[in-house]
Amino acid sequence: MADTERVESTIKGFLRRAKKSEDGIERDTALYADGIGLDSLSAAELSAVLEDELGSDPFSQGELPQTVGEILDFYADSDTAPESAAT
Amino acid sequence: MNAPTADPEPAAHYDRVTDGWRLLFGDSLHYGVFDQGDEPLAVATQALTDRMIAAAAFEPGLRVLDIGCGTGDPACHLVRTQDVDVLGITTSRVGVDRASARAAADGLADRATFEVRDGTANELPDESFDRVWALESSHLMPARDALIAESARVLRPGGRLVLCDLIRRRDIPFKEVRDRRVDFATLREAFGEARMDPLDSYLALAEAQGLTIEVRTDLTEATLPTFDRWRANIAEHRDELVELLGADGLDAFERSTHILEGFWHDGTLGYALFAASKPA
Repeated sequence: MADTERVESTIKGFLRRAKKSEDGIERDTALYADGIGLDSLSAAELSAVLEDELGSDPFSQGELPQTVGEILDFYADSDTAPESAAT
Repeated sequence: MNAPTADPEPAAHYDRVTDGWRLLFGDSLHYGVFDQGDEPLAVATQALTDRMIAAAAFEPGLRVLDIGCGTGDPACHLVRTQDVDVLGITTSRVGVDRASARAAADGLADRATFEVRDGTANELPDESFDRVWALESSHLMPARDALIAESARVLRPGGRLVLCDLIRRRDIPFKEVRDRRVDFATLREAFGEARMDPLDSYLALAEAQGLTIEVRTDLTEATLPTFDRWRANIAEHRDELVELLGADGLDAFERSTHILEGFWHDGTLGYALFAASKPA
């Protein structure tokens, strides 16, 4: 699985567990308010899931991502790309 | 005019949860103000209602909008004790049915009425109420600015908004939310999706709508014994509560009382009341 697909899969898995809609999620979908609708707690939970699954997460790096694309961009950087899946 | 629709809950589930909450919180289903510290919960919850009534400065015959009316207890109480007419609104269809039945049983159906409406977009006429009353309901309405704006809009000149609720007393950094996410998730499991804002942010929203702050009271210390009373109710009614709320639900609630008590002690969360008037 490509890295971007793996990140997207992790985000969508989190949304399913959080009982939030994953329909229409695009790169420019906002994470908060009228977008996915994360509040501070659900953003913290997503942060922890990303770190658990991918080894690092953008939320803990200072600037909070505002869109799905900003999360994807964080992992697109070679320094922070998720490790390749063992399979 | 069509009232906004809301997700209906199965009536039996609503009744079961409400019955459980009555055992935990008492009939008033809200926090208590403990002026002495050792009074029973029922006395303290009435004291909070009395603080709200005093802040509202009711007069006979006034028209009151009760936002987040629950099962209608406060609305019926206001009709009986303050000689006012109340429209209670909630997004719960079952809640409206139960509140309407309650008012009818008390012989108050002509003065306490209930409708399914959203407090943040109520679709009621401008300047149609003398008082807007929001008792511990605002923390469940994320669009806090819309709640205050709608409240101000429906108030007549000279009218008054009175609100009490949980408040946030300090900023909670993202790292702290992340580190304590299990605690926060426990609170969400027990009480639902809630957001607590600082009292000052409520006051700023009210002033931005042209309202004048008349009363502002921090009730954090006075409400602190509430958690101890809730735990005493758990101990007294544990078997019944497990049957009504489920063992997991009751466990989450009991843990949440300790988490909230800690937040009260360390200055993270608290409780406040304010009243704001619309210029005549």
